[in-house]
Amino acid sequence: MSDSGKKTSSEQVNYDMLDKNQKYALLIEAHAQDLYKYALWLCKDKNMADDVMQEAFLRAWKSLDSLREAKAAKGWLFTIFRREHARQFERKQFQYTDVEEMDTLADGQVGYDDRPEAFALRTALRSLPADYREPLEMQVLGGFSCDEIATILDISSSAVMTRLFRARKKMRELLDDDVVSGLGGMQQ
Amino acid sequence: MNCLEFKRLALAEPHSEQHEFVQHARNCPECLKYLGGVKQMDADLSASLDVKIPSDLVARLKLHQGMETPVEVIRTPIWRQPRYAIAASFMVVFLMTGIFTTSWLGFQQQISNDYESLLAGVIEHMEDVPMTPVWEVERANTTANTLLASYQPNMKLKHLDNLQFTKICPMGRYRGIHASLETADGTVTFAYIKGEPIGEVLDTAYQGMVTRVKPVRGGNLVIVSHSSRGLQSADRQLEQAIYWEI
Repeated sequence: MSDSGKKTSSEQVNYDMLDKNQKYALLIEAHAQDLYKYALWLCKDKNMADDVMQEAFLRAWKSLDSLREAKAAKGWLFTIFRREHARQFERKQFQYTDVEEMDTLADGQVGYDDRPEAFALRTALRSLPADYREPLEMQVLGGFSCDEIATILDISSSAVMTRLFRARKKMRELLDDDVVSGLGGMQQ
Repeated sequence: MNCLEFKRLALAEPHSEQHEFVQHARNCPECLKYLGGVKQMDADLSASLDVKIPSDLVARLKLHQGMETPVEVIRTPIWRQPRYAIAASFMVVFLMTGIFTTSWLGFQQQISNDYESLLAGVIEHMEDVPMTPVWEVERANTTANTLLASYQPNMKLKHLDNLQFTKICPMGRYRGIHASLETADGTVTFAYIKGEPIGEVLDTAYQGMVTRVKPVRGGNLVIVSHSSRGLQSADRQLEQAIYWEI
């Protein structure tokens, strides 16, 4: 992860000197946007994403004293979010009759890019097995390194690398040549 | 590092800064192109997951702890500018005239405006979010008190066995605590909004719902129910549950 990974020791000292409110404010300002994108992707619904984020930040506030290093903040926050998401969704099993149709509806509601190339990419990502998909989502949406993902998922770094390798390989297989050649101009 | 090892690492960590990886990319055009393709796919994937971030996201999250950062606006003192001084003089005259001529009717009108605005805010929010989750009672009560601690620290809520959900939400031009109670007469939504309490309890009906705006200490309570009995029951319950630590 990039930004927080570059924190210098002097920044850490400054972080230590902040009071709880200031630390919390810093946490929100630095990571709320990345977490919101991640939340939307996982929840597929704006209201649900808001709820889980609110809960996650409440939990973060309560246990903020346990966060020792500023550079670990993003990973720590994503871990809290993932646990909260699992807690809220463990009893909810949606029965979709037509998964693709539901995904299209969800994408429209969330406000994702509706071009076919973008939809193909999201569909390919969704079709990956969860073990492969999770680290890739974290790397692409959260900007985490393999080591950081390993900490969040509580698995070894080499396992993360293997999963990422397989995830991207599978993605390339799933995206046919037309889609792949249509990529490259998607970013606005 | 050979090409196979390079491609394997490129798929696992395309932004790796390992010396061998970087060196290989410099010396092997084919692998460099391969790496470019992987990075491009990541960038496109990231773009396909991009969304417009709500402008009030950070403010909403900070609100949980009552941490809204005050906005500091530096302005030149306006009394030093003659045109403002003249305008201010006129304003004082108008204001004084206004104060002396304010009638009981005007006062009632103000109450009515506040009341309508509060109710409209809550109804608008309910229409935006027609379904609220049903939490476990313990969680709903704990969250309610945590939110109250930041939103209105002196206000407390006794344990409610039928509390389903609590959240701080935007409601029209207000922000308040939005919650729901399960009663024998159906789900009743209520909101506590900080601010000037309106003068009296006002009941009305709106699109098949009955509503009550009720002044309480430090703000107003807005209760919305599908039945009159549900509203009365929720109001009685809240009257007993809300207390103040001063």
